[in-house]
Parts: sequence; C-alpha cells; structure tokens
Amino acid sequence: MKKYWKDIESKKKKEEVDGIIKAPDDDNSLLGLLSDRRKDMAASRRDFLKLCGFSFAVSALSSCQSKISKAVPYVIAPVELTPGEALYYASSYINGSDYCSIVVKTRDGRPIKIEGNPESGISRGGTSARVQASLLDLYDGNRFHNPLREGISTGWESIDTEIISKLQKIVREKGTIILLTPTIFSPSTEVVISGFLKKFTGSEWVQYDAISYSAMLEANKISFGKQVIPDYRFDKADLIVSIGADFLGTWLSPIEYTKQFSSRRDPGQDMNWLIQLESNLSLTGSNADNRIQIKPSQEAAILLNIYKEIIKGVENRHFEAPSSPIDVSEISKKLVSSAGKSLLISGSNVKHVQLLVNEINRLLGNIGKTILFDSFLRTHLALDSNMEMLIGKMQKGDVNALLVWNVNPVYNWYNRDAFTEGLKKVGLTVSLSGSPDETSSILQYICPDHHYLESWNDAEPKRGHFSLMQPAINQIFDTRQMTDTLLKWSGSTMGYYDFIKAYWVDNMMRLQSEFIDPVTFFDHTLQKGIFEPASSIVESAGKPGKSGSIPFDPLSVKTGDNAGKNSTEIVFYETIALGEGRQANNPWLQELPDPVTRICWDNYASISPKQAKEFNLTDCDVINLGKVELPVHIQPGQSYGTIGIALGYGRNKCGIVGNDVGTDVWPMLTSENGNIVYTGTSDHITKTGRTYLFAQTQTHHSMEGRAFVREAGLNEFRNNPAAGNELHAYNLEHNKSLYKERTYPHHHWGMAIDLNKCTGCGNCVIACQAENNVPVVGKVEVHRVHEMHWIRIDRYYTGEEDNPEVVFQPVLCQHCQNAPCENVCPVAATNHSSEGLNQMIYNRCFGTRYCNNNCPYKVRRFNWFNYSAAGTLTGNLRDKEGMTGNLRRMVLNPDVTIRAQGVIEKCSFCIQRIQASKLKAKYENRALHENEIQTACSQSCPAKAIVFGDMNDHKSELNRLINSGRRYNLLEELFTMPSVNYLTKIKNKIL
Amino acid sequence: MSKVSQAEKIKYLLPFIFLSFILNPALSNSLQVVKTLKVQVKDTAKTQKKDTLKVQPKESTNLQVKDSAKAQGKDTSKIQVKDSTKVQPKDTLNNQLPDSVIYKQTNFSTEELIRGARLFNGLVYLGDKSINCVACHNTHVSDTLNWNPDALEISRKYLDKSARDLSRVLLKPIGPKMKLVHKGFQLTAGDIVLIKAYMNKFVGIGLKQNKPVITYLLLLIIASVLFLLSSVDVVIRKIYKDQRINWAILTFTTIFITWILAVNAIAFGRAKGFAPAQPIKFSHAVHAGQNKTDCNYCHYTAKISKTAGIPPGSVCLNCHFLVRNGTRSGATEIAKVLKAIDDKKPIEWVRIYKLPDFVFFSHEQHVSAGGITCDACHGNVKEMNRLYQVPDLSMGWCIDCHKTRKVNLSNEYYKTYYSDLYDSLKAGKIDSVRVTGIGGRDCGKCHY
Repeated sequence: MKKYWKDIESKKKKEEVDGIIKAPDDDNSLLGLLSDRRKDMAASRRDFLKLCGFSFAVSALSSCQSKISKAVPYVIAPVELTPGEALYYASSYINGSDYCSIVVKTRDGRPIKIEGNPESGISRGGTSARVQASLLDLYDGNRFHNPLREGISTGWESIDTEIISKLQKIVREKGTIILLTPTIFSPSTEVVISGFLKKFTGSEWVQYDAISYSAMLEANKISFGKQVIPDYRFDKADLIVSIGADFLGTWLSPIEYTKQFSSRRDPGQDMNWLIQLESNLSLTGSNADNRIQIKPSQEAAILLNIYKEIIKGVENRHFEAPSSPIDVSEISKKLVSSAGKSLLISGSNVKHVQLLVNEINRLLGNIGKTILFDSFLRTHLALDSNMEMLIGKMQKGDVNALLVWNVNPVYNWYNRDAFTEGLKKVGLTVSLSGSPDETSSILQYICPDHHYLESWNDAEPKRGHFSLMQPAINQIFDTRQMTDTLLKWSGSTMGYYDFIKAYWVDNMMRLQSEFIDPVTFFDHTLQKGIFEPASSIVESAGKPGKSGSIPFDPLSVKTGDNAGKNSTEIVFYETIALGEGRQANNPWLQELPDPVTRICWDNYASISPKQAKEFNLTDCDVINLGKVELPVHIQPGQSYGTIGIALGYGRNKCGIVGNDVGTDVWPMLTSENGNIVYTGTSDHITKTGRTYLFAQTQTHHSMEGRAFVREAGLNEFRNNPAAGNELHAYNLEHNKSLYKERTYPHHHWGMAIDLNKCTGCGNCVIACQAENNVPVVGKVEVHRVHEMHWIRIDRYYTGEEDNPEVVFQPVLCQHCQNAPCENVCPVAATNHSSEGLNQMIYNRCFGTRYCNNNCPYKVRRFNWFNYSAAGTLTGNLRDKEGMTGNLRRMVLNPDVTIRAQGVIEKCSFCIQRIQASKLKAKYENRALHENEIQTACSQSCPAKAIVFGDMNDHKSELNRLINSGRRYNLLEELFTMPSVNYLTKIKNKIL
Repeated sequence: MSKVSQAEKIKYLLPFIFLSFILNPALSNSLQVVKTLKVQVKDTAKTQKKDTLKVQPKESTNLQVKDSAKAQGKDTSKIQVKDSTKVQPKDTLNNQLPDSVIYKQTNFSTEELIRGARLFNGLVYLGDKSINCVACHNTHVSDTLNWNPDALEISRKYLDKSARDLSRVLLKPIGPKMKLVHKGFQLTAGDIVLIKAYMNKFVGIGLKQNKPVITYLLLLIIASVLFLLSSVDVVIRKIYKDQRINWAILTFTTIFITWILAVNAIAFGRAKGFAPAQPIKFSHAVHAGQNKTDCNYCHYTAKISKTAGIPPGSVCLNCHFLVRNGTRSGATEIAKVLKAIDDKKPIEWVRIYKLPDFVFFSHEQHVSAGGITCDACHGNVKEMNRLYQVPDLSMGWCIDCHKTRKVNLSNEYYKTYYSDLYDSLKAGKIDSVRVTGIGGRDCGKCHY
C-alpha cells in the first residue's frame, strides 16, 4: 500500500490565527456578546440570562408574525412560459477568449443555472468553473447601470449624439480612431466592426489578449504560412508531451481539451500517455503520467535536445545541441515510435521555442493528424506587437479617439504606465465594457454593454464550428450591447439581432442543405445552439506549407540560460478560477479552492520545499520579491529554483468582492522581441518577517493512512483488472453488519466517479453551488473551516516530497446504506429514503452536529452563521460579499430550500432533479430514459468522470462501471456501504 | 367554620367563577377587548366598579355584549339621540351658508368629525329618513363577500373628487341597485361633507381590523394566577384550610394550561379558514359554481406545473372582453380587471394557500400523476363567494392523505419500476397500494 501524505509538516498556526482573525464586525451579535475577545466584558451570568431572554423573545415574536404574501400574475402571460416550470435556451458563453456552448436554465424569466450543450462538437456538454460562475456575474450590482459621462449618469440619446459628433469631427480632421477589443471570433461582430471602420475613415481596430499567444501565432506564420493557432487533437494522440502548457486547466481551450484527453483515459481501451515538463505544479502536471521538473530557462535547451534525438531517429541526421539539463532520450524515443500519433506542445510565449516545437511536430508527421489546420482556433488572434504599436502612437499623440471594449490594459498590460501615459494624449476615450474595471475608470465616456446572458451574438471559435448566443433574460440595467452601439454610431438603423439573422441567412444558409426556408434554418439553429456543417463545405484555411519549404535554423535558438546562478526564476500563471482576472468580482470563483494548493481568495508565491529550507521560509511567511511582497506557499513539486505566482489578482476597481483580493503582479511581466514573457527572475528574495493568513481548505479533511485513493499502473491493470484494489475483495468478504441489510426494490440511486478521468478542474464544485444554493462564506470563514461546498475535490500527494505525484478525489455525501450519521441524529432530521438516498431535512434539524461528528467522510456542512439571510435572528448575517442582496438572490434555485443558520446541509444527489425527471416520466406515461437524470456535477463534467444513475437498472452505464474490477468504496472497511463508487486510478507508467 | 367575612367568602367563589367562564361558550366568545366610544367605555367602567365583586358573571357579559354591539353601530339607543342633538346647533349654522361654499370645506373640528362618523354608522337620528351607510359599506375587514364597495373603496374613488360629486350619487342615485337603496335620502350638504371627511381617513389607515379574540389569553392568565396562588397556599396554608381544594385547583389549572398551550402551539402559524379581502371581489361561487367554469380553465398550469397559477389578466379577458356587466356589482369589479390590463399593472391578489419555503409541493404531481381532484384539498370552492383556506396545511394533514390514498399503478412508470407491486396487485395478493407504499413518507420527497 502506498503511503499518501497531504502536507509537508503540520504547522502550529494557532497564534497566527488568533492574531489575524478579527472579531465579528458587529458586537451586538450573539457571538459578539458571548465572545471572549470582548475584553471589557467577560460574559457574566447576567449576560447569559439576558441572552436567554432575548433569544426567547425574538423567537416567540418572529414566529407570531404571519406574513401576508401576494400572488401577482402576469397581466398578459408570455405564450412559451409556464410559471413554475424551467425553460432552457441554447446559447454560447463568450468572455474574452473563453468560449463554451451552453444551455441556460431559466425559471420564470431569470437564468438560474448553466449547463453544457451536448450538441456542441467543441465542449460536448462540458463546462468549466468559470462558465458555471458566469451566471452570477449577470446579477452583479457592480455592473454599470446606465451610460456615464465623466462618472455622471446620463441617457443614451445625449451620449450618442455627443460621441457621434466628436467622432465625425475627428474624421473631418483626418484623425485616428482606435477600437480596442479582445480577439473577436464572432463573424457578425467582425462585420459590424468593419462597417464601423468604413464609416469612420481613418479608424483602426486593434485586438489585445491579456494572456498572449502571439509568439505561437508568429511562429506558425513562419512554419506553416498561416498566422493561426491550429486545432490540437488530444483524442488522437497516443503520446502527449507538454512543456509548461496547462492544457487541462487554462491553455487555449481547456474544456475541449479535457473532453478529448479524458476520452482516452479508459484503461480498458487505448489509453494515452501524458508527459509534462513544467516548473509549477499545474493541473495538467498533476494529471500527468510522468512529470519532470524543469526551469523555464531550460525549455529551449531541452527542446533542442529532443530535436537532436528526433532528427537522428527520423532523418538519421546529426545535429549539435547544447548539453541537456535532463535526459530526453527516452521521451524522444517514444515520440519517434509514436510518430503521427503524438503531440508536442509548449506553453511558452517565446517565438523560437514555438518554432522548435513546430519543427519537431513536423518531423514527427503530426501535422494533419494530431495538429489540424483545417479547423484552426479563432479565439486567440491578437498580437502583442499591435498593442505595442498602439501605445507608441498614443504616446506620440497620434490617436484622437480610443474605444475600449472588454479589455483592461490599465490592469493587465505589462507596461501599464506607458498605456496610461498615452491615454492622456487621446482626445476622446470611450469604454464599451459592461462592468467597471481599472481601464474604464479613467475613460471619459462609459457606454455599458450587456452581460452575455442578455445579448444576441454568434461565434466561430473554431473554423467550421458556429454557434449562436441568445438572451435568456431581458436586460437588467439600462445597458446596450456593444455591437448595437457600434451599429448605431455607424448610422445603421438595424438592430444587432436583425443583423445576425441577415448575416446568417446570407452566409450560413448555403453551408447546409437541410433547410430551404431561412426562418426555419435560423430558428432551428438557434434552438440547437450550434451549427457545424460538414467540414468539406467550409472553405478551409488552406493546407499548411510544405514541410521542407520553411527555412528554419535551429542554431539560431537561444538557450537563454543566462540567468545568474543565484537568481530565482519566476513563472507567472493563470489560476483555474480567475484566469486573467475578468471575473474577479465573482464570489463563487474567488471561493473555489485552487485544485492543487487548495487555497482560495488569494495568490501567493509557490516555492519548492528545498528552496524554502534554504531561505529558511515556512508557509505563510511574507517575502519581498523586489516589486511586490507576497506570502509564501511551500508547494511540493514546484521546480527547485523557481517561484510560481498567479496573475489575475490584486484588482482594485472591479467591485466589492474582488477589490484588493491578492496581489497584482502584472507589472512584473516583461516583453521580449515584441511578445510578453510570462517568466521572470528575482535576484534577491528577502523575508519581511511578517506572516499572512491563507484561507486553505487542504488541512481540514485528513483521511490519513487509509486507502481512499487506490491506483495501479497500466501494465498491472492489464494483467489484473482489480490491480491496486485488492482490499475491495477482502472488505467484501469480511464486512458484516448486525443490522439486516436494507433492500431497495424500486430505485436505488448511485454514482460512479472515475478517478482516472477526473482532472480536478473544479467545475462540479461551482455547478453544485449554483444548483443547490450553496452560500458563499468569505475568506475569514473559510479559514475557520466553515466552507460550505457540498462537493470538494481532495488532493493527495504520493511519493517524494520534492517530486510528488498527485491524485484528485471528488468527495461528496456518499449516501451510505449503513449511514453513521443517521443513527446519531436525535430528531431523525437525517434518515434514509426508500430509494437509497441519505436525506437531510433542514426544517427538522436543530443543529446538534452529531451527524457531522459521526460522518467519516466529513461531507456535512454546518451553517455557523446566517450566510444566506434565511434566518430570523438578527445580527448574525455574514455576508461581506453581498450575496444576500436582492439582485444576487435572483440566482437562487427556487426548488431548493435556502438553509438558515444552525442547520446542517449536505449533498442531496440533486433530489430536485430526480423528482422532476420522475414526474416528467409519470406525466408522459413512460419509463425513464437512459441518463435522463443528471446531477449538477455529472451533467457538466468536462471529463465525464462522474456518472449518476439507478443501480437497479442493470443496463445502465453506471452498472457497467460498478461491475468493473476497479470499483471500490471510500473507507469501505467501515461497512458504511456508500452509494458513491470510485474507480481506481490507472497511471500509464511506462517511463 | 367559624365566622367568615365577606371578603373571605369570595375566595371560595374564585374557582367557580373561573369554571363558569370556561363552560359558557357564548360568554367566552363575547369576551373581547374593545375600544368603544368614550361614553360606552365609561358606562362599562361604572357598572364594573359598582358591582365588581357582587355581580353575577352572566350579567356582566350581557352588558358587554350590548356594548360591543353598540360599538359596531348596530344598536341605536337613547344615548346616541342625545349625542346627535348635541352637535345639532353647529349643523344648523352650516345650513345658512350656500351649498357651494359648504362643499369646499376642508377643515373640520373634532365634533364635526364625530358627527361624520355617527352619520356613516347610522347613529344619527334623522326621523324616517335615517341613513345607515355601514349596513352596506363595510368599515371593518370582513371575512365574507360583500358585493357593495366598502368605505375604503368609496373614499379612494372620491378622494380627488369634491363632496358635490358624492352628493350626486347619494341624492340622485344612478344604478338600479343604488336607486333602490339610496331612495329618498335627505342629507344636507353639511352632512355629506362630514361623511366624506369621515371616509377620507380610511385612505390613510385602511379598513378597521377586527379586534382579536383574546378570551383564551385571559383565561390562561387567570388559570396561571390561580395556579400560583394555590401552589403558594400549599406551603403557607393561609387561604384554604382544606388542602384538597388547593390540590383540586392545581390539578385542574395544570390540565387547562397544558391543554390551551398545546392547542395553540399546534395551531401556531397555521391559517385554516384564512379568508382575506381580495383587491377584486372575485367570487368562485359565481364563476366555478353558477357558470360552471372548469378549474383548469383559469388555473391552466395545475396539470403541467408545480404551481396551479393565478390566471393572468389576459385569461380574464377571454370572457370579460364581452361580459362587462355582472348581475350584482360586476360592473365595478370587472372594470377593475379591464383597468389593470389597460394600465399594464398586474392585480395583486392576496395569497391564501401558502406552504412554508422548505416544503416542495407540485400540483402536477398530485393532479396529473396522482389524479386527485381539486376539491380534495381546496374544498367546495364552487360554493365559496370569498375563497378561504380549507385545510390547515399541516404536515399531519398531508401524511394522513398519503397514508390512505390509493395509487393507480397503471402508469408505465410504475409498471417499470414498481413491477413487483403491480404484479401482486394484479394477482390479487394485495388489494391496494397506498402512497406511503411507494415512498410517500420519505422526508426527502417534499423537503429538499
């Protein structure tokens, strides 16, 4: 049995805890009165009696009031709407370069949940945590409510005439108007923009992506003659070698790649093999079969050596390469042997590194097989050099008007001072963004955009993959879609909706032959959400250039190992939750723990254990890195000599939730040959002597020394399907119960979680939070072990401290048939249903927390305070994030009870969905369809790692998984007989 | 027993007085705390003072019954006639002015306002032509349907209009019903102004609420006092020499206190019989009863959704596009629906059936899947003019039905998943399957 460990050393943080955590804000609360932190008043007997009397009076009075409530019907009811029934709209999620095809669930006119669209060829029913959480952004009161002129509210009429006349004046004076946007991959928007550019002669369009892939674009232009990012097919690759590209977490199109990658993680079939070479312990690195630690500066040298080996293997030529920091002969051999079925990718934004990657892939014959140019990505097209040029122009005073939409260079451009400096010389500055950010805060005019759930749009994220976006709610504020604004300013009388319709009829109709009537075609596509015509019809981007035709001189590649010996390299990365920081004002995302570090509400400097020892650092120490000060997180698996820091934090103009969360490190970025480099060096790291407090969910759920995650190698598995799972048979034999075994003759709901497929991305956590009204508790409360997520993803390390392997395990209520929690509840508030569910009845619970104590899985959550404003006692509201405001509460699912203070809550297997599906079947007089009932976590899992179903249905996919040799239950030696089953993790350990 | 003083005699009466309170239901109903007109309060006070201890309980209640009746203006007695004569001189003074001036009067003295109130409540004697507005136009919240507009509605209507407009309706009635009732009114301009002034106050405060019946609270207090007295006396032995009396009182009051607390605690927060006034006097008896409209016509989502739904204004319009006049006061009420649709302002009905937030209830489940008729829960709506809550909507009420209601297993869903039950039912091994038999008592079926 492997020994698993979770933490480097247990730390005594008690003193820090007491030192930093503040007493509750208002001391009139019960806790405040009883608190021993009130020095002037130790709680005396008198206070106790006072409190008793008070609480009795309050509870008596509050129960006396019977509120008269109103039932307000529609005046004229919309035809399609049935009160109390959900309506689903297929739409698309677009935020910067993020894209996902989605289905929006609305109840009585308001979106309450986002689900994946299984029709899509890109996301195939998967979503990400960011997509799930984008729903909450709709109900963000911090969004602009109306157009603003110099910070003062105004009307659309006056702002339109004013801006149009100013723009026209600039055109007359032959000035320059710049439209600054992120990469636009909406075909209709592109036409709108080109119309705008034509109308205002002398105007230009600049695209800017905060996380830049411009080196890749430039390299592909040289290597293949096309300045695009190709379509990587991870499902077609037997061997994936990734050098610092976190393609399961943040790189390019993670939802799509997770789907593809996981589809090849079935050990019974042709399982793929992932080798990750990286500095930070990323999500992809955590899921890799082999992970090799490197420094970012070594990337070029390693690639040159791989190139050397491959050119030797494929073309039998000799090439002189500098000495390699690591042994690459094995990797190269494997690459050569799986030529045409392999994939080499790099996350670097250095052009010569990407050129080398292209050359190796070309040598291996991967182009056209695992790397396709027919269906290239359109989500990342921006070049850093364009932005550089724009700033140069602005500083020279050559730009007369700047229209900014949805980009935030004042925050995330590496040289923000230059941008701000240049902005001062621009006569007219207009923001078209929907929510406040650092950039729009210093612009003259604000013409706010809709949220994407209020908008019409279309998208072509990949060539030949079209999708439509439709509003799921009427606009909440007095906003107007950016494209509508541009159309209006261009003098068009057409609305954007009509524009899209016309565009699709003109351009998309001919790509299909199914529908002849344009109205039917559009409506049908709108209902489906996506339009993916046969690839042969879509005009291709052209074949990549011939392999030999591109001059490439590998000797020109700089190995770049010029960093001083003592200096430490810094690697900047995006987190799964926040990315570049667009959704920083989203409390769901802020509270989503990082999959690896398990820290939320913060960024930090990840440092390797060895280096921490050298610098004499412990967790939570604050260090000075020259430009910024950051707390230290000692991260096993962090490459020695490197520090990992997350971008996207430290915003100060995004709203009450995200302001001043974490540290802003964008100014530490540099630019090299016109491309932003996401690495850096620091020569002096000094200890400040201060300590910092993390909200970390890691140390709370220790299941030490037990076989909760079981794994085996692929070869062992091939010999014995139950490899690594020997304990299961033993436990089955030896477990005996005094109680009579319960039977569930009708339904018996269960779940299977394939640990081999789960990547730990956190989508299920947010999906569950949205579906089940799970409250946000805030940083201080998370630190006090009060987080409320119903499903958590435990992360364990195995192996050496300096180079550990990582396993993820989603843990939710196991719905045990011999549930330890049920026996101890004094009021039977938790008990078993006839369908095998462990039920939790909130209105019956009075908060003894015995069940919580007795649960071996620690999945029960207690409402320590009034997090959701459902309680009757005053003064105990903990809602720093404003989640109980009227607008934010519109996100709540009306079918799930809001839990009050003092009750336990936990996963219900989405019983509201089970009941709804059963009722639908009864109404339609039929049996349930296969996979008709999906829990929130299983529906949108991008890896399809979670399967829910009826264990009594012997034909179901669930039963196929349960009957495999890999199945085991968590802590099965306790004989709790959970309904949640896990499948062992099988690693492809060949190296 | 030696010499017993008068005061000491009474202590033996105490338990009996208390008993008679409980045993006389008519009496307990009438024990209301009412704020009446000053005169009446004074009167009761007087009588109570005089006969505090001597008077028989029954007598005192009779007095109170009379008083409360007076307060509601149902009784015209001598006192009132006297009162009206008091304010008469002022009135006659007004009469000397031309009507147009009187109608514009805005400031009123307290005396005048009282006269307005008395006129409305029919307490002013005007000979044969005495009026009694309150007989048709409620001033109190009522739990039965009164087709006539109440004081609040009238005052809202005439708030922005002058008293002259009101006088036209009063003296020259238009509608057939009004012609009949408002026949031969002989009101002076002064009186009409005062009536309008009286009604205006309802705009601010709304209709008067009925005073809560607090009989049981009083009884509870008395019982508690007795209980305390007796328990003290068990120790000090000063009041009753015979300890058995103490023990009897203690036993009885304990039972009574427990019973009353239990009954009230169970009924807490439940609203059985709740029959609020609705913004439109909609009668289910007329629509569902006389006109035999199917429930599902208006509540069209009951079969397909969680909620039965309050019909949107557009549904009303299906019939009332043509039907603009009812037999009673339909014209005024139907006009409200049409106005709401014209103004695009939804009608804010008062919700009657309301389950707590932690209960999930689906009409679709019960009506479509379960095949339960509407009246099983909502009672005989066809006979209700004003709708009221029939069941107490307690969990016991739900469970009772789940225990007894038979399930129709012929649905394909049940045939697939409950095949064992279906087969044994067909084979005659069991005679029926109740809702509880298919998990109808699982907590999680309704609470999640």
